[in-house]
Amino acid sequence: MVALVVILALVVALLAVLVAGLLRSHADILKALHDLGAGVGDPALDGDHTGHGSGHVDGHGSTSGPLTIGPPLPGERASVSAPTIAGVTPEGDARAIAVGHSDQLTLIAFLSSGCSTCAEFWAAFGRPEELGLPDGVRPVVVTKGPELEIAGELRGRARVPVIMSTEAWGDYEVPGSPFFVLVDGRSGRRIGEGVANRFAQVADLVRRAQVDAEGSGRTPAAGGPADVPADGPDGPDGPDGPDGPDGLDGPARERANDRVLRDAGILPGDPSLYPGSLDDVYGPAGGRP
Amino acid sequence: MTSVHAHGLGADLPPGFEGRIFVRPRVGGERPFPVAHFATFPLPEEVGDFGGGAVTLMRPTDIFAVLFEYGPESLGTALFARQGMVRSLTTGDFRPTVLRRGLGGQSGTQWFFTESGRPFTFYAVLGSHARRGTLVPRVNALLDGLAVTAGAGTGDGTVPWN
Repeated sequence: MVALVVILALVVALLAVLVAGLLRSHADILKALHDLGAGVGDPALDGDHTGHGSGHVDGHGSTSGPLTIGPPLPGERASVSAPTIAGVTPEGDARAIAVGHSDQLTLIAFLSSGCSTCAEFWAAFGRPEELGLPDGVRPVVVTKGPELEIAGELRGRARVPVIMSTEAWGDYEVPGSPFFVLVDGRSGRRIGEGVANRFAQVADLVRRAQVDAEGSGRTPAAGGPADVPADGPDGPDGPDGPDGPDGLDGPARERANDRVLRDAGILPGDPSLYPGSLDDVYGPAGGRP
Repeated sequence: MTSVHAHGLGADLPPGFEGRIFVRPRVGGERPFPVAHFATFPLPEEVGDFGGGAVTLMRPTDIFAVLFEYGPESLGTALFARQGMVRSLTTGDFRPTVLRRGLGGQSGTQWFFTESGRPFTFYAVLGSHARRGTLVPRVNALLDGLAVTAGAGTGDGTVPWN
């Protein structure tokens, strides 16, 4: 009888140790997940709402992972360069986007077809007019290449450029999906990266990054000339005045042209905009140079 | 150097260029053929075959180029008599009057040819004719990296993704 009691006591003690070990292991896992910002615990208690740290809470009360959109990038990154992304589209076409050679910010979303967290982002990119990104920010979705993704499952899911390129995941050191990288096309550098649970968070942080960039003297995605303040030392039209197209990009150039035409009394539908012959452009033949 | 390949066309893109090679979806009984767009600025999602919707976005330092394939009925016609793609252009090849859409300050060039048994036109636009001295070498760098494969992308309707 005594032996049985002793054996039972030993078994109970052993089970107690096992349970304690399991609880400790579980606690360690929870702590690790919490440190990663994977939605465990109450991130509102973390106290960092700047958008540059972890535990951000958006307007919907949803939690997110660590978001570091906005400089600096993590020190462990081998590079902050922004190589051109090239691959195929889900439709079988070829596509290359030179994210590091433009006046824009480019938001690269690394997504997968099968990741459940990505579903919200796929849905968001299916309605690009509702993304809430600042004007001039170009969204691009990058999945792994066709050797790892099924193109048919991606077709029609987004109405923004979708490129399938495993190489790009390597170039940008993507740890998993979803993952977002913000590139400043003027400097050709990555200026932010991170993960999120909701697109609203991403859009908010892109806006902050744009403000940061503008505050540092650059004007990405603002439609102005490179490395020149929005109004520049010579006024809003630059040193050449409104007639000089140099330094104006597409929309600004069109606005400038429209303004010049309006000032000259040429309004939409004016017959002079629709010449029927060279004489209408240059005047009578005798008057040509 | 970044490379793109599809529909029997390929391009080694010089730094600063982006591009796409695609076949438009079939509409009715038409037979679409491959089109390649290249640009030194962000290409909008909707661009006409010859740059409609894109050339208005060009800065003076920008280049836009198109490699457009025609149907096999064009083979052997006088327009496509030139054999082989033009590979080196001069500043004199660009003129403000050679533009699909005449925009002030820009200039363009267009060449029709047959390569690998496929009829094409190459059309390029410079954002500023005044800067052609610096822009034309970049067009030549693009041309140097373009490749056409025989017998591919003939738009016979068998391309499953279109």
